[in-house]
Amino acid sequence: MNLSFGRVFTRETMVNLLFVLPSLVLVGYFVYVLIGWNIVVSVSDWRGLTPSYNIVGFGQYITLFQDPVFLTSLTNNLILILLFVPSSLALGLFLAILLDSKIRGEGVFRNIYLLPFSLAFVITATLWAWMYNPDVGVINTLFQAIGLRFLKSGWITDPNIALACVVLAIVWQFSGYTMLIFSAGIKSIPESQIMAAEVDGAKGFNLYRRVVIPQLKTPALSAFVVLMIFALKVFDFIYVLTGGGPAGYSTYVLPLLMFRETFLSTHFAYGAAIATLLFLLVLVIVVPYLYLSSRREKD
Amino acid sequence: MRIPNPRRIFLYILLIFFAFVFLLPLWTDITTSFKSIHDIIYTIPVEPPLSPTIEPLITAFNIMERPLLNSLTFTAVATLFSCLLGSINGYALTKIRFRGANTMFLLFSIGIFLPYQAVLVPLVLTMSRLGLYNSIGGLILTHTTYGITITTLLFRNFYGLIPDSLIMAAKTDGAGTWTIYRRIILPLSLLPFVVVAVLQFTSIWNDFLFGVTLARGSEAMPASVALANLKGTTEVNWNVQMAGALWYALPVLIIYLVLGKYLIRGYMAGAIKG
Repeated sequence: MNLSFGRVFTRETMVNLLFVLPSLVLVGYFVYVLIGWNIVVSVSDWRGLTPSYNIVGFGQYITLFQDPVFLTSLTNNLILILLFVPSSLALGLFLAILLDSKIRGEGVFRNIYLLPFSLAFVITATLWAWMYNPDVGVINTLFQAIGLRFLKSGWITDPNIALACVVLAIVWQFSGYTMLIFSAGIKSIPESQIMAAEVDGAKGFNLYRRVVIPQLKTPALSAFVVLMIFALKVFDFIYVLTGGGPAGYSTYVLPLLMFRETFLSTHFAYGAAIATLLFLLVLVIVVPYLYLSSRREKD
Repeated sequence: MRIPNPRRIFLYILLIFFAFVFLLPLWTDITTSFKSIHDIIYTIPVEPPLSPTIEPLITAFNIMERPLLNSLTFTAVATLFSCLLGSINGYALTKIRFRGANTMFLLFSIGIFLPYQAVLVPLVLTMSRLGLYNSIGGLILTHTTYGITITTLLFRNFYGLIPDSLIMAAKTDGAGTWTIYRRIILPLSLLPFVVVAVLQFTSIWNDFLFGVTLARGSEAMPASVALANLKGTTEVNWNVQMAGALWYALPVLIIYLVLGKYLIRGYMAGAIKG
């Protein structure tokens, strides 16, 4: 540090700082101060509409793991991740490979597959409520009409398969996105490599397995992170489609429980504790990812 | 005549099957929006209406008109603000390289992935104290702030491609930081502005969580919340629900049809949904 005070705060430096100051203040307060504030709430005894900041320690977090509804929500969240993330990656990859087969109307098919991803979750949940309605909904009446009556089901009204129905619908919404990411990855592989492999006799599925898929690690990783984080904070879709039911808590997940506890039952400290836990789970995925991508950027 | 290869035929059957699956919910949304109660009873959802009517669309519009206007207002303003601030930050991060730039970038990157639940309780308290609870202003402030993180990242990636020599040349001519931004960076920014604006518009328009926690009263209620309420209250009138969904989807569908390639670029550049 051999710079004098006067040189550090030159007019130029002050002007430069003014450029980013509004954003720094906004993000600093609304992201970082509020995260800290939320943690303080989570160790307080605040229940009811009047804020209370008596610090009572980490008792809320211990209560959480003794609460059957919390444990159900956590389990559902994990099941949802285990079903949704691999399915969306696999279907997206499959669609990307189909589109890569030098077909006519490639752009039209791509736009159709990606369309659901652009729509709001409130819209897609409303559409799927209509699809799954057991009495007059799209799927059951369609099965009836084409002679597949035995496939009719209670869908989201059946507690045994409601969570699977949620997963099916969000796979429908996200696989166009994973397709897009994989398509870009496939297009970036040099033509010469594909041709060399074809000369060696690799064809069709083998060509993809041996040459193309191994080179899709980077797009697969970024799609994985996006899907994981979405699956952890999934809220709008389930709130509108099932509201967490049927049979009480069959499709409850952590963000839904957080919302219910905080804004409907006014258990603010409890809701804040769930939110903090959710934030930690997201960090477990994001921090290694940011570390990896910053290293890649330097290379 | 050339006989088509059976493998190719199978390929097209698969492609069309998936197109059918992906479009089915949207198709039945449209058919149902144009059906009278009579047609809902006497046709199944996938069938077109027997005698098309715009009655459900009118009913749904009357319920959703104010929320749609609310959404349009705060989405447009917050898109504009978050793009402008993101552009300035992107410029600062790539071309000024002030001290602490890397730290700022890291803090903003974590902000992109933030699950908003982790700030929701203090956010509601802050907005009430500022007198911005249940107001368009509150939604503009919220969406602008949480949008800055992603817009900064996207503009930073775009501006990284502008050669430094251009900036150096202007500096030797005596241009200041602000002049360089206005005279050199902004004129080169049309493409990133379109890409980022289209991405921001759709993601702010689609938001539900901030709307339902910050603006449940009618003064500022977004269309997403109005549609969720519509589903909650008129369980029986499927045609009105589907018509409501269609109205709320309309701006995004138009963007998808007209500016789809920019939206896709935005998704590729780092779309984080939700």
